[in-house]
Amino acid sequence: MKILVTDDSKAMRMIVTRTLRQAGYSGHDIVEAENGRQALELVSSESPDLILSDWNMPEMTGIDFLRALRASGNATPFLFVTSEGSEEMRAQADEAGALGLIAKPFTADAFAQVLGPVVSA
Amino acid sequence: MKVMELADLEEDLESLLLDVLTTVLSEEAVPVATDLPPGPRAVARLAIHDEIEDSYLEVAVRIGLPLAKVAACRMMSVADPSTDDVVDAVGELGNIAGGNVKSLLFNHSRLSLPIAEIDDAPGPQCESTVHVRALVLGQVVELSVTPTSDVDDLYWPPHAAGEPTNLEAHQ
Repeated sequence: MKILVTDDSKAMRMIVTRTLRQAGYSGHDIVEAENGRQALELVSSESPDLILSDWNMPEMTGIDFLRALRASGNATPFLFVTSEGSEEMRAQADEAGALGLIAKPFTADAFAQVLGPVVSA
Repeated sequence: MKVMELADLEEDLESLLLDVLTTVLSEEAVPVATDLPPGPRAVARLAIHDEIEDSYLEVAVRIGLPLAKVAACRMMSVADPSTDDVVDAVGELGNIAGGNVKSLLFNHSRLSLPIAEIDDAPGPQCESTVHVRALVLGQVVELSVTPTSDVDDLYWPPHAAGEPTNLEAHQ
Protein backbone atom coordinates (compact mmCIF):
# COMPACT_ATOMS: atom_id res chain seq x y z
CA MET A 1 0.00 0.00 0.00
CA LYS A 2 1.20 3.52 -0.81
CA ILE A 3 0.38 6.28 1.70
CA LEU A 4 0.66 10.01 0.93
CA VAL A 5 1.50 12.09 4.03
CA THR A 6 0.87 15.82 3.55
CA ASP A 7 1.99 18.39 6.11
CA ASP A 8 4.00 21.62 5.87
CA SER A 9 6.09 20.52 8.86
CA LYS A 10 8.84 18.00 8.19
CA ALA A 11 8.77 17.09 11.90
CA MET A 12 5.07 16.26 11.71
CA ARG A 13 5.48 14.20 8.51
CA MET A 14 8.10 12.15 10.34
CA ILE A 15 5.89 11.79 13.43
CA VAL A 16 2.96 10.62 11.30
CA THR A 17 5.16 8.09 9.52
CA ARG A 18 6.56 6.83 12.83
CA THR A 19 3.12 6.66 14.40
CA LEU A 20 1.88 4.56 11.49
CA ARG A 21 4.63 2.05 12.28
CA GLN A 22 3.83 2.15 16.02
CA ALA A 23 0.18 1.53 15.21
CA GLY A 24 1.19 -1.65 13.39
CA TYR A 25 1.15 -0.32 9.84
CA SER A 26 4.76 -0.87 8.83
CA GLY A 27 6.10 -1.83 5.46
CA HIS A 28 3.97 0.58 3.48
CA ASP A 29 5.46 2.99 0.93
CA ILE A 30 5.33 6.56 2.22
CA VAL A 31 5.20 9.55 -0.14
CA GLU A 32 5.43 13.07 1.32
CA ALA A 33 4.06 16.46 0.27
CA GLU A 34 4.43 19.88 1.90
CA ASN A 35 1.07 21.38 0.91
CA GLY A 36 -2.17 20.58 -0.86
CA ARG A 37 -1.01 21.73 -4.27
CA GLN A 38 2.07 19.49 -4.19
CA ALA A 39 -0.07 16.66 -2.86
CA LEU A 40 -2.51 16.98 -5.75
CA GLU A 41 0.37 16.61 -8.20
CA LEU A 42 1.65 13.57 -6.32
CA VAL A 43 -1.75 11.94 -6.41
CA SER A 44 -1.55 12.04 -10.20
CA SER A 45 1.99 10.68 -10.41
CA GLU A 46 2.02 8.26 -7.45
CA SER A 47 -1.60 7.03 -7.20
CA PRO A 48 -1.56 6.57 -3.41
CA ASP A 49 -3.99 4.14 -1.75
CA LEU A 50 -4.49 6.37 1.31
CA ILE A 51 -3.97 10.07 2.03
CA LEU A 52 -3.22 11.54 5.47
CA SER A 53 -3.28 15.34 5.34
CA ASP A 54 -2.88 18.37 7.56
CA TRP A 55 -5.57 21.06 7.24
CA ASN A 56 -3.76 24.39 7.66
CA MET A 57 -1.04 24.62 5.04
CA PRO A 58 0.39 27.26 2.71
CA GLU A 59 -0.36 27.25 -1.04
CA MET A 60 -3.41 24.99 -0.72
CA THR A 61 -5.16 23.91 2.47
CA GLY A 62 -6.08 20.33 3.21
CA ILE A 63 -9.80 20.92 2.76
CA ASP A 64 -9.25 22.51 -0.66
CA PHE A 65 -6.98 19.60 -1.58
CA LEU A 66 -9.73 17.13 -0.65
CA ARG A 67 -12.41 19.07 -2.51
CA ALA A 68 -10.24 19.28 -5.64
CA LEU A 69 -9.53 15.58 -5.39
CA ARG A 70 -13.17 14.62 -5.13
CA ALA A 71 -14.16 17.09 -7.88
CA SER A 72 -11.75 15.27 -10.20
CA GLY A 73 -13.51 11.98 -9.45
CA ASN A 74 -10.73 10.60 -7.25
CA ALA A 75 -12.11 8.59 -4.31
CA THR A 76 -8.84 7.72 -2.52
CA PRO A 77 -9.51 7.30 1.24
CA PHE A 78 -8.59 10.59 2.91
CA LEU A 79 -7.97 11.32 6.59
CA PHE A 80 -7.16 14.67 8.18
CA VAL A 81 -4.41 14.84 10.81
CA THR A 82 -4.70 18.34 12.20
CA SER A 83 -4.22 20.46 15.30
CA GLU A 84 -7.81 21.72 15.10
CA GLY A 85 -10.46 19.23 16.02
CA SER A 86 -13.59 21.36 16.33
CA GLU A 87 -17.02 19.95 15.50
CA GLU A 88 -17.32 22.53 12.72
CA MET A 89 -14.17 21.23 11.04
CA ARG A 90 -15.16 17.60 11.53
CA ALA A 91 -18.46 18.38 9.81
CA GLN A 92 -16.68 20.12 6.92
CA ALA A 93 -14.30 17.18 6.56
CA ASP A 94 -17.18 14.72 6.54
CA GLU A 95 -19.15 16.74 4.01
CA ALA A 96 -16.14 16.94 1.69
CA GLY A 97 -15.69 13.17 1.78
CA ALA A 98 -12.99 12.53 4.39
CA LEU A 99 -12.93 9.32 6.42
CA GLY A 100 -12.42 11.38 9.55
CA LEU A 101 -10.12 13.65 11.48
CA ILE A 102 -7.36 12.78 13.92
CA ALA A 103 -6.55 15.70 16.21
CA LYS A 104 -2.96 16.52 17.16
CA PRO A 105 -1.45 15.57 19.53
CA PHE A 106 -2.33 11.96 18.75
CA THR A 107 -1.31 8.50 19.87
CA ALA A 108 -0.67 5.31 17.95
CA ASP A 109 -3.95 3.99 19.39
CA ALA A 110 -5.86 6.86 17.78
CA PHE A 111 -4.31 5.98 14.42
CA ALA A 112 -5.08 2.29 14.81
CA GLN A 113 -8.69 2.99 15.73
CA VAL A 114 -9.38 5.17 12.71
CA LEU A 115 -7.23 3.33 10.17
CA GLY A 116 -8.24 -0.17 11.18
CA PRO A 117 -11.13 -0.44 8.73
CA VAL A 118 -9.13 0.88 5.74
CA VAL A 119 -5.50 -0.19 6.11
CA SER A 120 -4.17 -3.72 6.39
CA ALA A 121 -1.47 -4.03 9.06
CA MET B 1 -12.18 37.32 24.02
CA LYS B 2 -12.10 39.48 27.12
CA VAL B 3 -9.01 39.53 29.33
CA MET B 4 -10.96 38.27 32.34
CA GLU B 5 -12.29 35.30 30.34
CA LEU B 6 -8.78 34.46 29.19
CA ALA B 7 -7.44 34.46 32.75
CA ASP B 8 -10.26 32.11 33.75
CA LEU B 9 -8.91 29.58 31.27
CA GLU B 10 -5.47 29.28 32.82
CA GLU B 11 -6.16 25.79 34.12
CA ASP B 12 -7.37 24.61 30.71
CA LEU B 13 -4.34 26.11 29.02
CA GLU B 14 -2.06 24.37 31.50
CA SER B 15 -3.73 21.00 30.80
CA LEU B 16 -3.43 21.64 27.10
CA LEU B 17 0.31 22.37 27.37
CA LEU B 18 0.92 19.27 29.49
CA ASP B 19 -1.01 17.10 27.01
CA VAL B 20 0.90 18.44 24.00
CA LEU B 21 4.30 17.96 25.63
CA THR B 22 3.55 14.54 27.12
CA THR B 23 2.12 13.16 23.88
CA VAL B 24 4.58 14.65 21.40
CA LEU B 25 7.77 14.20 23.44
CA SER B 26 6.73 10.98 25.22
CA GLU B 27 7.95 12.44 28.51
CA GLU B 28 6.15 13.38 31.69
CA ALA B 29 5.41 17.10 31.94
CA VAL B 30 4.36 18.81 35.16
CA PRO B 31 3.15 22.35 35.82
CA VAL B 32 5.64 24.84 37.26
CA ALA B 33 5.61 28.54 38.10
CA THR B 34 9.28 29.01 37.25
CA ASP B 35 10.17 31.48 34.50
CA LEU B 36 12.19 30.41 31.50
CA PRO B 37 15.89 30.79 32.26
CA PRO B 38 17.76 33.53 30.40
CA GLY B 39 19.56 32.56 27.22
CA PRO B 40 18.70 31.50 23.71
CA ARG B 41 15.30 29.97 23.21
CA ALA B 42 13.18 28.70 20.34
CA VAL B 43 9.91 30.57 19.94
CA ALA B 44 6.88 29.65 17.86
CA ARG B 45 4.16 32.28 17.33
CA LEU B 46 0.84 32.18 15.60
CA ALA B 47 -2.48 33.97 15.88
CA ILE B 48 -6.15 33.12 16.05
CA HIS B 49 -8.62 35.47 14.39
CA ASP B 50 -11.99 35.54 16.14
CA GLU B 51 -14.16 36.24 13.10
CA ILE B 52 -17.21 37.16 15.16
CA GLU B 53 -15.52 39.89 17.22
CA ASP B 54 -12.83 40.58 14.60
CA SER B 55 -10.12 40.33 17.25
CA TYR B 56 -6.85 38.42 17.47
CA LEU B 57 -5.09 36.28 20.04
CA GLU B 58 -1.39 35.56 19.77
CA VAL B 59 -0.36 32.09 20.91
CA ALA B 60 3.34 31.52 21.59
CA VAL B 61 5.39 28.58 22.78
CA ARG B 62 8.85 29.31 24.19
CA ILE B 63 11.43 26.62 24.87
CA GLY B 64 15.05 26.96 26.00
CA LEU B 65 17.35 25.99 23.15
CA PRO B 66 18.74 22.84 24.83
CA LEU B 67 15.25 21.38 25.25
CA ALA B 68 14.24 22.58 21.78
CA LYS B 69 17.11 20.52 20.36
CA VAL B 70 15.98 17.47 22.34
CA ALA B 71 12.44 18.01 21.04
CA ALA B 72 13.73 18.14 17.47
CA CYS B 73 15.73 14.92 18.05
CA ARG B 74 12.62 13.16 19.36
CA MET B 75 10.20 14.51 16.79
CA MET B 76 12.43 14.00 13.76
CA SER B 77 14.37 10.91 14.86
CA VAL B 78 17.73 12.56 14.26
CA ALA B 79 20.79 12.63 16.53
CA ASP B 80 22.08 16.06 15.57
CA PRO B 81 19.25 18.35 14.45
CA SER B 82 20.06 21.35 12.28
CA THR B 83 18.78 24.82 13.16
CA ASP B 84 16.08 24.35 10.51
CA ASP B 85 15.05 21.10 12.21
CA VAL B 86 14.80 22.85 15.60
CA VAL B 87 12.76 25.70 14.14
CA ASP B 88 10.47 23.27 12.30
CA ALA B 89 9.92 21.12 15.40
CA VAL B 90 9.17 24.06 17.68
CA GLY B 91 6.95 25.60 15.01
CA GLU B 92 4.94 22.39 14.97
CA LEU B 93 4.66 22.36 18.77
CA GLY B 94 3.33 25.92 18.49
CA ASN B 95 0.94 24.85 15.74
CA ILE B 96 -0.44 22.00 17.84
CA ALA B 97 -0.83 24.25 20.88
CA GLY B 98 -2.44 27.00 18.76
CA GLY B 99 -4.91 24.61 17.15
CA ASN B 100 -5.94 23.29 20.53
CA VAL B 101 -6.30 26.81 21.96
CA LYS B 102 -8.49 27.66 18.97
CA SER B 103 -10.68 24.60 19.54
CA LEU B 104 -10.89 25.47 23.25
CA LEU B 105 -11.90 29.11 22.84
CA PHE B 106 -13.66 29.73 19.55
CA ASN B 107 -16.30 28.46 17.18
CA HIS B 108 -15.78 30.69 14.15
CA SER B 109 -12.13 31.54 13.90
CA ARG B 110 -9.05 31.09 11.74
CA LEU B 111 -5.58 29.97 12.69
CA SER B 112 -2.50 31.46 11.08
CA LEU B 113 0.49 29.38 10.11
CA PRO B 114 3.21 29.31 12.77
CA ILE B 115 6.42 31.26 12.51
CA ALA B 116 9.34 30.07 14.58
CA GLU B 117 12.79 31.43 15.31
CA ILE B 118 15.61 31.26 17.80
CA ASP B 119 16.17 34.38 19.90
CA ASP B 120 16.80 35.45 23.48
CA ALA B 121 14.04 38.03 23.88
CA PRO B 122 11.65 37.71 26.82
CA GLY B 123 8.05 36.84 26.15
CA PRO B 124 5.20 39.37 26.26
CA GLN B 125 5.03 41.13 29.61
CA CYS B 126 1.71 42.91 29.18
CA GLU B 127 -0.93 42.58 31.86
CA SER B 128 -3.40 40.84 29.57
CA THR B 129 -1.03 37.96 28.73
CA VAL B 130 -1.80 34.60 30.27
CA HIS B 131 1.28 32.43 30.79
CA VAL B 132 1.33 28.78 31.75
CA ARG B 133 4.52 26.79 32.17
CA ALA B 134 5.50 23.15 32.35
CA LEU B 135 8.63 21.29 33.33
CA VAL B 136 9.73 18.51 31.02
CA LEU B 137 13.11 16.77 31.15
CA GLY B 138 14.05 19.27 33.85
CA GLN B 139 13.51 22.30 31.62
CA VAL B 140 10.76 24.91 31.37
CA VAL B 141 8.35 25.32 28.45
CA GLU B 142 6.05 28.34 28.35
CA LEU B 143 2.74 28.79 26.57
CA SER B 144 1.45 32.36 26.40
CA VAL B 145 -1.81 33.73 25.04
CA THR B 146 -2.09 37.47 24.42
CA PRO B 147 -4.84 39.63 22.92
CA THR B 148 -3.14 41.48 20.07
CA SER B 149 -3.67 43.47 16.92
CA ASP B 150 -0.12 43.00 15.67
CA VAL B 151 -0.48 40.18 13.18
CA ASP B 152 1.12 41.74 10.12
CA ASP B 153 4.14 39.42 10.15
CA LEU B 154 2.05 36.26 10.21
CA TYR B 155 1.03 34.25 7.17
CA TRP B 156 -2.53 33.02 6.88
CA PRO B 157 -3.44 29.93 4.87
CA PRO B 158 -5.46 30.60 1.74
CA HIS B 159 -9.21 30.82 2.17
CA ALA B 160 -11.21 27.81 1.06
CA ALA B 161 -13.47 28.40 -1.92
CA GLY B 162 -16.63 30.19 -0.81
CA GLU B 163 -15.20 31.40 2.51
CA PRO B 164 -15.32 35.12 3.36
CA THR B 165 -12.04 36.87 2.71
CA ASN B 166 -11.97 39.52 5.42
CA LEU B 167 -8.47 38.43 6.39
CA GLU B 168 -6.90 39.24 3.07
CA ALA B 169 -5.87 42.69 4.26
CA HIS B 170 -3.55 40.99 6.72
CA GLN B 171 -1.88 38.63 4.27
